[in-house]
Amino acid sequence: MAVEKIQTDVLVIGSGTAGLAAATYAALEDKQVLILDKGALGRSGSSTGAVQIAGLGDWSHEEDDTERYLEDIYTSGRGLSNPNLAKTLVHDIDQRIQDLIDWGLKLDREGDQVSVSHTSGHSLPRSVSAKKGKAGLGLLHTLRKKVTKDERITTLSDVMTIKLIKSDERVVGALVLELSTNKFFLIQSKATVLATGGAGQLYPITSNPVQSTGDGFSLGLQAGATLIDMEQVQFYPVSIIEPQSIAGLCISFYHNSKLFNNKGERFMKYYAPDTLEDATRDTLSIAIATEISEGRGPIWLDATDVIDQVKKEFSHEYQLCLDRGVDLANKRAQVGPAAHFMMGGVRIDADAKTDVEGLFAAGETAGGLHGGNRLGNNALSECLVFGARAGMNAAKLVDDVTVSILDANPIRINQYGNHRPFEIKQHIQHSMSSYVEVIRKNEGLREALNQLLNVREQLENVQISNPDVYSREIVDYIEAQHMVNTAEAIVRSALERQESRGSHYNTDYPDLTSTIKHNLVRMKNHQFQVQPEEVESSETKR
Amino acid sequence: MKLNVKINRGEHIDQFEVDYQPDMTVLNVLDEIYQHHDPSIAYRYSCRTGLCTTCMMMINGRPDLSCQKTAEPGEDGYLTLAPLPKGKTIRDLIKEY
Repeated sequence: MAVEKIQTDVLVIGSGTAGLAAATYAALEDKQVLILDKGALGRSGSSTGAVQIAGLGDWSHEEDDTERYLEDIYTSGRGLSNPNLAKTLVHDIDQRIQDLIDWGLKLDREGDQVSVSHTSGHSLPRSVSAKKGKAGLGLLHTLRKKVTKDERITTLSDVMTIKLIKSDERVVGALVLELSTNKFFLIQSKATVLATGGAGQLYPITSNPVQSTGDGFSLGLQAGATLIDMEQVQFYPVSIIEPQSIAGLCISFYHNSKLFNNKGERFMKYYAPDTLEDATRDTLSIAIATEISEGRGPIWLDATDVIDQVKKEFSHEYQLCLDRGVDLANKRAQVGPAAHFMMGGVRIDADAKTDVEGLFAAGETAGGLHGGNRLGNNALSECLVFGARAGMNAAKLVDDVTVSILDANPIRINQYGNHRPFEIKQHIQHSMSSYVEVIRKNEGLREALNQLLNVREQLENVQISNPDVYSREIVDYIEAQHMVNTAEAIVRSALERQESRGSHYNTDYPDLTSTIKHNLVRMKNHQFQVQPEEVESSETKR
Repeated sequence: MKLNVKINRGEHIDQFEVDYQPDMTVLNVLDEIYQHHDPSIAYRYSCRTGLCTTCMMMINGRPDLSCQKTAEPGEDGYLTLAPLPKGKTIRDLIKEY
């Protein structure tokens, strides 16, 4: 079957805040841009659920500035934050938020002042919001409107990326599947931006949307890009566990609430006596997971003392719980850590360039900015700043590329295989939640690796009974392949880090090592390679 | 406990009898049908928290979010699902974006 070819200057894969920003800024450089999403364009990324965005602006606290913001990122990153990326973030964020305001974004206000909130780990209040505590939606609406109106940008929903295409060591496009027609297309692009979000779906309980299956990490790996510090998976410490229908929902007001174990103890006094629940996410996740693993779970959140503030500032979260039978005004909620954010990812420089010519990455798909722990509300900031940088720099690549027409059908449809794709995804989730969660051990990590190798064998014998358009089985099959690659990168990286740093907590190595190293993961001839690299900069070391 | 479900799939209406627990959402029921009854059922969702709105469909005759709406039968004893009437329906419950 011949594969049709589509040509564009810049291909953007993913349409959350990072992808939409990349498309917008590339088009402003007068380039033709094609942006695609495997779900509904502009509505399928993690950005949707983001409550606030951290940054700087004319609304900033009088004592705040780039140096103070940078210091907070370094402290939170536990020595693993890339200083070039962190400096870029604090330098650019003011202008990027202002661009959005110029394009119609309205920040939430208290009277005539922009509302600025405190978030754990930030030394000063610097989080703002839009749409009454739905900052992500506000950013997406603004950028979606901008993208839709720009004739230089073509948008495609429901298109899955199978793999990136290379020529002479340069990424020159991608092979994709249009779900509405079941047709494969070869997209030829002078530059390609990976902005596919994270990988929360590697775990059964996650705050992430269903599309967060680690596609960008897998696509980058296969194209020769380097992944950095993949073991650094952030678990949102206080997420709903029951009822199951809203499991994974982040409780953003945990720092104002109280947490209790099953003995009725406010246990954070043992782990963070100075800050109690107002601790950084890694500290809080490890504390909660320890309480549960030592038999003092389940963990309960009590927000009754701050319920008026919750109803006002976090009305959506309050209402979601209420709708599912948990009235936080008079009832405690069962909570625990849920997979939330990848600090690791595709290694980029300050221009959002990866190690591979022609390939850029931005947002959660990129790694290195946050090091071992992302500060709250820095996710949208990262998406805006590096999405914009990816778009601007992708637009600078003007050399023509040529791609040979492919002839092969890359999806093997077998109606009589033994393993259904959704079951394979569940196997991956089971392995990751059993052995690669908040608290890890060497033995468990090795077992996870063995189980993932079994999953690869299952992927060779998949049953796809419905090969029609919009086949959820085909979607699950493609996603499962990306998931197993991403999961293996996380596990191998976790095995390499023989210490506990940031979000990686291994009870066999509970202490920090004196030499700080990054873990770099690459794939060569379908084999994973993990290489430690000593952190050179002294300024980030804490 | 069982729940009877009718799904308008364009050219025909399919019926399913699914295992049911009281806190299930309509989206949970659709997942149950995909995994255990009919792998060809097509439906769209993303955030599961009522924000993205991509899971909107007709539920017992009214437009609602399948990730938020508790699954319960209508007056005829069936949970009845159909695509939104406005816009192009691509397959089953999936609208074009």
